Formats: sequence, structure tokens, C-alpha cells
Amino acid sequence: MEFGPILRALLRNKLGVVLIALQIAFTMTVIVNAVYIINQRGELMQRPSGVDEDNLFHIRSIGFGENFNEELAITDDLDRLRQTPGVVDATVINAIPVSNSGSSTGFSLEPGDRGSMVPSAIYYAGHRSLNTMGLELIAGVDFAESDVLIRPASSNTNAGSVIITRALAERLFSADAQSAVGQSIFTPSGQAIRVIGVVRQLQGPWPLWPEIENSAIFPEIVIDGSSMYLIRTEAGEQDRLMPAVEEMLAASNDQRILRQLRTMADTREESYRIDSVMTRILYVVIATLIFITAMGIVGLAVFSINRRRKQIGTRRALGATQGAILRYFLLENVMISGIGVLAGAALSIAFNIFLVQTFNMPRIDWFYIPAGMLVLLLVGQLAVVGPSRAAARIAPALATRSV
Amino acid sequence: MLKMTHIRKVFRTDLVETHALRDISLNVAEGEFITITGPSGCGKTTFLNIAGLLETWTDGQYLLDGQDVAALSDFQRAKLRNQKIGFIFQSFNLMPDLNLFDNVDVPLRYRGMKGAERKDRIERALDSVGLLSRKKHLPSQLSGGQQQRVAIARALVGEPRFLLADEPTGNLDSNTAEGVMELLQSINDAGTTIIMVTHDPSLASRSARNIHFLDGRIAESDHIAVAGQLEAVS
Repeated sequence: MEFGPILRALLRNKLGVVLIALQIAFTMTVIVNAVYIINQRGELMQRPSGVDEDNLFHIRSIGFGENFNEELAITDDLDRLRQTPGVVDATVINAIPVSNSGSSTGFSLEPGDRGSMVPSAIYYAGHRSLNTMGLELIAGVDFAESDVLIRPASSNTNAGSVIITRALAERLFSADAQSAVGQSIFTPSGQAIRVIGVVRQLQGPWPLWPEIENSAIFPEIVIDGSSMYLIRTEAGEQDRLMPAVEEMLAASNDQRILRQLRTMADTREESYRIDSVMTRILYVVIATLIFITAMGIVGLAVFSINRRRKQIGTRRALGATQGAILRYFLLENVMISGIGVLAGAALSIAFNIFLVQTFNMPRIDWFYIPAGMLVLLLVGQLAVVGPSRAAARIAPALATRSV
Repeated sequence: MLKMTHIRKVFRTDLVETHALRDISLNVAEGEFITITGPSGCGKTTFLNIAGLLETWTDGQYLLDGQDVAALSDFQRAKLRNQKIGFIFQSFNLMPDLNLFDNVDVPLRYRGMKGAERKDRIERALDSVGLLSRKKHLPSQLSGGQQQRVAIARALVGEPRFLLADEPTGNLDSNTAEGVMELLQSINDAGTTIIMVTHDPSLASRSARNIHFLDGRIAESDHIAVAGQLEAVS
């Protein structure tokens, strides 16, 4: 291999080499960090929420008539919904998981201990909420109908029992979920709440919230003029039942309007839309940068080959086979790209440190760096194959031509 | 060493056919020093290209060392050039980005020779042309005559049996050209067969045989010396 002569020749033509190496380094820096961000977002978007998303939809009922009685309407609506063929169960709830809208609070193990409060999302849900959401109870018991507290929005007094997620139980008690059952936890107002059950998972409403796995379900129906019904259907029944349910509820009570008829899947998609759009934009940026870099490499290779046509002819005359010429330019490209990816590795790490310090992003996994180097080296080789093959086809007779 | 029989070379485009060589038949014996002369466009360089396996021909037979080279692949021709033929070009054709050592090294690398042997050969070749002390210099730091000496060292480093020189003194002043000719003469004296294209009749007169090309044919073949070794068909 002609490593030494190629390196010495490159060092005598630094400008083109430096420009392409810088372009490769810059591309690698952006690509490595962009791919990392894409993967991070992808992992976030792929996390399960803990509920039976495929078979859940929700609809909001907003009373407006003078004779509208929200409490009666809820009881009547839930009866109708649960009796509808194809509906597995239904409940009323204040917020939808990963919907970007909901309530949170903090819990402590001692009353008034605000310093050690563990943040948690709170769901106020009616009877049969666990079955409706499809949550898995891993310790304790479900709510009884008699546990449900119906209260006005102005009341700050919660029901006396709560079901929490395993993540919240482990944060609060630093022990397994079973040991949380029967224990009391305290709201910021100092009210004691008894943990009667633990579910495996229920995400909070905010997808990017660091404490998203901490959730608590209170058996409460808050009367505030607006009720969100969560309906779980049998598999494959959702599309048929959504318009039917809307029509049935509309016909049953003309003192209210119905809004926000949506599937859980739509709600999730809406919540992650920015992440999804950002991911697509990053893919476009990556593809564009790779294309531009590849074109830069092709341009440099073509320029370099055209400048050295007579040299290539001379090399062929002196005994270089076509394969030797091809290898020469591939090796030359590996060396230029090698300088670029080494600089790119340093720049990628530096840029990631900047992102970590400025935007509180997680540190990049180490394997992204060698993977990025490999990809850019491969892009360089693929880009230069065409021009190198053209160089290899230069006739040896060119050595004796005067131009 | 070299035997061409009825070699023709026609360059074809969509509109025209150019007959660069018409029925060239020539024998060159081992150790000969032949010069090729003729006006511009008479086919001298085309002949040299074919002799050096740089170019294919249209018709005829070419035996190099008894081997019919017509059927050789591009790869085999490259190997044959590397092992048996040395080239000296009018404009030297040195690699401007490589120092003298690396320039002379080029044909040896294609031979797959080990580093130590290459170094030994390169230094001997550069020494033989008086430029060993400047092996780290770039071609641009040398005079024209010195560059041609480097090119000669590069042609000789693989110890070819057959040296083709395309107007090797064409870009040199008369004093420098004289030095290069003396060098070629000594190389021939050492047993290497040389075919040299030149415009200069005085240089042609110093070879054992001069072949004059005209319009793609051998117009004249003069045995100048050592006639017993030579045979020319015109």
C-alpha cells in the first residue's frame, strides 16, 4: 500500500484536504448528535403508557343547559356506556395519560414535610377506572364503588384512599410495591391518604416530564361542568363505536355538548407531534448533509483526478494495474476521511458537552462516535468509487501525450 | 527481443479514420540501441506506445521476448510493462508531489517488492544518475536535466531489459542533452535494449540503427554499427 507517499503528497496539498476533512468533521458532528437525539426521542415516543391504548377513546361532555345536572348525567352516561355492546368498560376521569394536560401534586411520608415531597401526576377517576384503562394491579385491591368521592371543584379534600404506580411506591418507600399497601402518604395540605393498591405502570399526562412514571389515582369525581369519559372497547370495535357513542350520548341529553372525541392513539400522536416533526427534520438534515458531503468528496476526487490524468497515465505506463489505481484513490480518500472523522469525533464530543451543559440533554453513548466514524468513512468510499473507477480506466498511452 | 510483423494502427472516429501505422514490420535484437526519427505525425509515438504495450494495435503480430502479447489482458500488460519495460518521457512525467525517492519508488511498489529491497534499489538507481544526495528533494527543486536523470533512474530501478525513450532530450539544452545521451549510451553498453524516438539527427547518428518513419511507414533503416546483430525489414 502507498500509505506513506500518499500522505506526503496530501501534506503538500493541504487546502483541499483540510476543507473536505472539515466538511466531514462538521457533518459527522451534526449526524452523530442528531441520530442520538432521534434515538432518544424515539425511545421516549415508544415508551408504553401503561394503559390499553389500542382500545381506548375519550369524549368530553360539557353541560350548558339550566337543567343540566352533571352528577346525574355522569351516572346515566356511564350506565349507558357500560351497557353498549362492544364496550369493555367506561369511567369518568379528569385527564388522559400523555395528553399534555392534567394535574400534579407532591406526596410525603410525614405531614407537612414539603422538603421531601415526591412529585406525582394525579388522576381523579370514577369507579372501575383500573379496568377501563387496562391497568395491572400488582399489589393491594381496586377501589370499591363506595370509595368514590363526588365533590365540587372548589373542595380541596381528597378521598381517603389512593392507588399509586410502582415507580411512585418505590420512590416514596424505597421498597417493593407490596410494602406500600396500607401505608399512609400525605398531600401538601397535610391530609393523610391510605395506599390501597399499586399498579405496574400509568404514565402522567406530560410526555417530557422527568417524573412521568409517578402517578396516583384518587377515587373522585370532580363536578366542574365538564366530564371526560374514557371508554375501553373490545379489540377492533373502536372505529365502529366512536361515532355510535357520540350519537348515543348526544341523543340522551340535550343539555350538554360533546367535544374532543378522540382515540388514545390520536392523543399520543398529538402529544408527540413536535418530537415526531423534529425527528423528520433531523432525518432531512442528516440526508442533506450526507449528500452535500458526498458531493464534496466526489467534487474533490474528480478535480484531483482531472488534475492528475497524466500522472495516472504515467503510473499505468510504469506498471500500475487498474486495480492499483482504484486502490490508490480509495486509500487517499480513506486518509482524507480519516482526518475528517478523527476531527469529527472530537467535535462531536465537544458539541455534545455543549448540549448537555446548555440544554440539559443526556450525555451521548460512546458507541455513537465509532459508528459515526464508520458511516462517514463508508460514505467517503462510496462517493469516491465512481471517480476512482474512471481514473482506473485512464489509458496508459496518456503518459506520452503532450497535453 | 521484439518482433513486429505487419502492424497497423487505425484511429477511428465517427467521421474519419486515421492510419497512424501502416504495415510496420521490425525486429529488435537484445542489446540494440535503436533510434526512431521522422516528422511530426509520422507515427513515431504511436509505434513507441505499441512497443511499450501502452496501446493496442489494429492488425498484425507483436512478439515480445517470443510471447504474443496481443491476447494479454490489461492486467497482464501492466505486469509485463512493470517487469520488462522502462519508460523515459520527453517531459519527464515525474510526480510533482513526491520527492525523488518516492518517484523512483513508483514502479517498484507495483511490483510488490519489500521495503528494504526497494530502498536499496532506489538508492543505487539515484546514485547511478548522481542524485542520491537529493533524494528528499521535490522535482520542482531540480533542473530539467536533473529531472530527466531522475526519470531515467525510475526507468532503470526495476532493471528492465527494454527501455523506451520518447524524445528524452526534447526539453533539454544541448549540453544537458549530451549528458543524458551519454547516460543512455552507458545503460545500453550494460546490455539494456533501447528504442529512442528523437527529432535530432545528431543523436540518431549515435545509435546502432536509425529507423526513419514517414506517414506511418518505415521509410528507411540504417545500420550504423554492430550490424551483425541487427535485422530490419522495411
